Amino acid sequence: MTARDNARVAVPPEPGEAAPVRLPPIQVRTGAGEVAAFLRETGGIGTGDFVPLTFPFRWLTLPAIRGSILRLSGGEGFLPVHEAQSFAYERSLRADADYILDVEIQSTEKPPRLILKMTVSTVQDEICARLETILRIVRLNPETPA
Amino acid sequence: MIEAVAGLAPPDWPNAGDEIGAQSFGPFDSAALTRYAIVSGDDNPLHLDPAAARAAGLAGTPVHGMLMLSCFEPVIMGWRRDLFISRFSAKFLRPVLAGEGIRVLGRVLRSQGNPRPELILRLTARGPGDSLVILAEAAVLHKSVTPLG
Repeated sequence: MTARDNARVAVPPEPGEAAPVRLPPIQVRTGAGEVAAFLRETGGIGTGDFVPLTFPFRWLTLPAIRGSILRLSGGEGFLPVHEAQSFAYERSLRADADYILDVEIQSTEKPPRLILKMTVSTVQDEICARLETILRIVRLNPETPA
Repeated sequence: MIEAVAGLAPPDWPNAGDEIGAQSFGPFDSAALTRYAIVSGDDNPLHLDPAAARAAGLAGTPVHGMLMLSCFEPVIMGWRRDLFISRFSAKFLRPVLAGEGIRVLGRVLRSQGNPRPELILRLTARGPGDSLVILAEAAVLHKSVTPLG
């Protein structure tokens, strides 16, 4: 088993919980222009191949991941609200480099939440970072007055 | 697990209780939220559409949690540039609305010296009225510990 395989060993769901949804691996790139734009808007410091700690979060908005989040959130009439976030880095990311994402999404009913676990690895299969994102699912009330 | 290469803490390695100077960010107006949505891809209507925010029970569009969380790294690295942030976790306790700002501050909770210099930092973001909006903790290593840090 590779390091990535070990990282992807699923924790069994709690009784009454659905099995986690595991997405196919996704290749991403830390484009230097995207990193620089991200830094400008987040008050970040750093130059050269520096990639901000929170930059990988943006990959959760990729269509394959976003679609799964919206589907598991309940679709129209529900919105995910960010409740907690963690990062664990084994090595820094570098700008203009390719990485592989492994994503697993666990949904819970009580309370309604999505727990996303993402592992970022190099294309040589070395794990760089692990992220955990907890989203609370909020039911919208369109009747709320302005 | 990080491959720990023995490092040497510099003479000015912080001690438990040392403060990390406060730094203010924002106010984050709706234009800032739109720009962050573009660079991050997080265009959740909750942050951009007042009607969606109202439907979620909020008085206004909330600032992206990750925009506020992005402010912590410059605070840590502005305090000391010889650190590698190995772990960072945060809970979003209450929303900060468009037009409001935050103040990020912290202190050293635990300090470990040689052979693996590591600090545990307690960090917070405070919003209007000094309300606690984010509670965070970071584990940081001296850069000498990490081969690729």
